[in-house]
Amino acid sequence: MDETVAEYIRRTVLKIPRDEIKTMLQKWGFLSETQLQTINFHQIKENISHDVVLLCEENSADIKQAAVLDIIYNHSYPNKRVWSVYQMNKTGEETELFDLTDFKKKFKRRLRSALKNVTINFREYEDNAIWIRIAWGTPYTQPNQYKTSYVVYHSQTPYVFVSASVLKSNLPLLCQALVVASNYHDIREMELRGHSLNSLKDIVFKRYNQNFQTYYPRPLQERNVAPGSADLRIIQENRSEKERIQRVNREVFGDGPQPKLEFAQYKLETMFKSDPKMDVLDKKEPFRCLVKFSSPHLLESLKSLAPAGMADAPLSPLLTCIPQKARNYFKIREKKGVFPGSFVSP
Amino acid sequence: GVFAHLEMLEAQAHEAAVKQEETEQQEEKLARLKARVQELRLQRDELRAKVDLQQKGQLGKEGVVSDPAQPSARAVLEWKIKSVKAMLQVFYLTGISGKLTKRGVCFCISTAYEGTYLDSYYLDLLTKPEVQIHRHSVPSFIPLEQIAKKYLQTDIRRFLSVLSDHLNAYAGRRYQADQLQEHFSDQIEGTLQRNSLCNLLVFNYNVSSKSKTFLFNVRLLYGDLCCSLPTEVTISCAPDAPTSLAETAAAHSDLFRRVALHKAFRSFGSAEESMD
Repeated sequence: MDETVAEYIRRTVLKIPRDEIKTMLQKWGFLSETQLQTINFHQIKENISHDVVLLCEENSADIKQAAVLDIIYNHSYPNKRVWSVYQMNKTGEETELFDLTDFKKKFKRRLRSALKNVTINFREYEDNAIWIRIAWGTPYTQPNQYKTSYVVYHSQTPYVFVSASVLKSNLPLLCQALVVASNYHDIREMELRGHSLNSLKDIVFKRYNQNFQTYYPRPLQERNVAPGSADLRIIQENRSEKERIQRVNREVFGDGPQPKLEFAQYKLETMFKSDPKMDVLDKKEPFRCLVKFSSPHLLESLKSLAPAGMADAPLSPLLTCIPQKARNYFKIREKKGVFPGSFVSP
Repeated sequence: GVFAHLEMLEAQAHEAAVKQEETEQQEEKLARLKARVQELRLQRDELRAKVDLQQKGQLGKEGVVSDPAQPSARAVLEWKIKSVKAMLQVFYLTGISGKLTKRGVCFCISTAYEGTYLDSYYLDLLTKPEVQIHRHSVPSFIPLEQIAKKYLQTDIRRFLSVLSDHLNAYAGRRYQADQLQEHFSDQIEGTLQRNSLCNLLVFNYNVSSKSKTFLFNVRLLYGDLCCSLPTEVTISCAPDAPTSLAETAAAHSDLFRRVALHKAFRSFGSAEESMD
């Protein structure tokens, strides 16, 4: 077995939390059950990974199999990477007839025709997600297994989730291969980025709970249940306002959990509005500034701002439009007359 | 066809409008009667009190027995709420229901397959300055933009009908594939290859003949996105399979074209049992 492959497997196993190593190796399926029985999974990780490498040598693992283990690891822990969302466009009206084998063939052929030194692996999952792992090389060097890009694609949708790596220069090539393989015409990057792959999927596939007005009797949640145990001496002075805030919040954010985003960024190119007497800026130029909101869970924290009394309800539509517009990067320019609108940056 | 469906929708809309008119008239009538009921209630209570006194005096009976034939105002209100809820439930069960919003209409398309209710999808439409989709929860592999471009501005009924056909067919295909994986996984070898629209299924399954099992490979292509039955079925068996199996393959192919996937597999199971 190749030294580099052995080292790669060793390092991949080291990344896995100790309690998960056995399950992940079982999912991998490269080592037999009897072989796995011989490993003591209670020792320190260094030793576990060493044992795994020895067994892999017995089975003569090559880079393709090692890559599969890497995909399984990344599929279990996708939130360690930053994902961007790309959208593809097509003009035709042909019925979508996605053939997986065809897709894989076209993708590999397109990519390899431009760059011979790439390792490409595919893995399909139950939810129709196709994971593609690409290790990039150059025309003169072998693929670097530590510089990988990941692509997640759900068939017959126009959205692709990409976790590129350091090598941004390979992105155009990757985009081209995707477009060709999936029978679309072009592709563009959306202004949507985050760590939580599932949340990004929820946003573009509209799987989160948007509050639609319907007549269908939904089970009434505990709203305004008279708290029988509350102290009658405590009177809520602001009850109607509190209820209004809850109602408005619910209309905007819906009932369910919000998709998880870590930041929203607003690039302002608007005129600074000051007292004309103060005359802060001599020239009437747009005042450039960048506003970035960060949070472990941005949308949930925005949802709780008004009920917590930290902001007025309803919140600014610039904040609440994030899931619906499927973007968390905004460029705000001056709109004539009205308050600044946002324009999609091409 | 589409026209039959349109006519049916039109008839439904007419019925709904008539029903609504009736409900409104009934409501007015009810309000008037309510006021009358209040008057009569007062009278009744007075009379009842008199009767009570007399009864207590004569027979020593305790308590008041309220007249079950005369419903109280509360009972009337409860009945009213129940019947309105039932009406809304009926609308929901017809598959397409809508609610007027401040800026337009919000439609709910519910899907079902052979008696089982599946997911619901929502469309929030704005009506001014022109009809446009504000938000929706339709999956991105359903060609919503295409359908909207064709029909949304010109014929909204047709738009809803076509979209409902797509969604129902997709829900039906997915349901069949899910049922197959859930209940007949022992007959399937390897993975069931499918895609987001569930319009291409490829898998291998076991067929037993004369106490030997053979592997059939089947490719189901659902060319019509508004249909939940395949338009093309290709079954191939291993080269070493006996020629009698070709007949079985043809029979299966025909069955898959006519019958829901999981029902087809159920019939295989019972056919085998009857053969043994």
